[in-house]
Amino acid sequence: MAKGRELVGRIKTTENTRKITRTMEMVATSKMKRASDRVASSRPYAKALGDVISSLFNAELAERFPLLRQPAAEQRAAVVLITANRGLCGAFNANLIKEARLTVHALEEQGVQVDLHVVGRKGIGFFRYVGRELTTARTDITDKPTATDAASLVEGLMADFAAGLLDAVYIVRAKFNSVLSTPPTTDRVLPVAAPTRSGAGRDYLLFPSADAILTELLPSYVRNAAYRALVETAAAEQAARRTAMKSATDNAGEMLNILRRTYNRARQANITQEIAEIVGGAAALQG
Amino acid sequence: MLKVSVVSPEATLYEGDATSVVAPAFDGEVGILPSHAPMITVLGQGTLRVNGETLARFTVSGGFVQVVDDVVRVVTEQATPA
Repeated sequence: MAKGRELVGRIKTTENTRKITRTMEMVATSKMKRASDRVASSRPYAKALGDVISSLFNAELAERFPLLRQPAAEQRAAVVLITANRGLCGAFNANLIKEARLTVHALEEQGVQVDLHVVGRKGIGFFRYVGRELTTARTDITDKPTATDAASLVEGLMADFAAGLLDAVYIVRAKFNSVLSTPPTTDRVLPVAAPTRSGAGRDYLLFPSADAILTELLPSYVRNAAYRALVETAAAEQAARRTAMKSATDNAGEMLNILRRTYNRARQANITQEIAEIVGGAAALQG
Repeated sequence: MLKVSVVSPEATLYEGDATSVVAPAFDGEVGILPSHAPMITVLGQGTLRVNGETLARFTVSGGFVQVVDDVVRVVTEQATPA
């Protein structure tokens, strides 16, 4: 029964693989839960910041702030791509990389010089492979990104933008709409597109002044955009991994069914044949 | 009563009613009582005190306080309960 033994081996390995993918699915589910909580708890801050900036913002102020500067023509732009440090999450990283390549390509078509900044081992690996030079490559941001991580990511870019070395900064990240919808998107974070005010603003007492408040808040706004990009991508990564591992587990189950059926059929055929041989042998002796 | 919320980028640290709030503004402490005029002020570093049912203290750094219609929003870059 050589084929039978071979099948037993395959059944065992498939069972083991299924155990692993099922565990990974459960781990990703619990991580995703916590990550999407982090996405939810980052919303009040973003909203409060946006509200205040929009209530202070007017076109005349805009010209005085370096972060609001609208360059006449883009000559040099930075693209920040956020990917995961780990794989086994389906097409998640591939989709983000594809989005980044499209963005970079579109910019280069317009004659813009693009600096590429990549977060996450997977994105770095890809661009190393295609031989593109990266301005920065970071792998130190974990799946629990902090506001400090976000600040360190965009601080240098803000300084370069304010100094006129960069004309635009884009972030390519996954948008966490829901567990099932996490499309890759490109956001332009600099120049800051100030949220527009709806309705008449209140008359606030402003200390020290509108200018000073905006000087303080605009960088916060940019840092927050980066923070949100990081937490949403982290949550989307876990969602993608959960889906990938769930289908891997399901597929392993299907494969096991087929293998077990084949094995049993081979075993039965074997027994039937042995009985036929015994009966045949007995009949020959009597005859 | 004031409706007070304290938010940082990572979490909402306080949400509830209070009788007064003392915040470390950029140029010294600012006390906020009910019926305060609408105000936005930049925060410095220091201890934020919220007099709710119990006294809540937070160490904050950077950000701003917005007061409008007895709603106080403390929006800060870094906040830890102290």
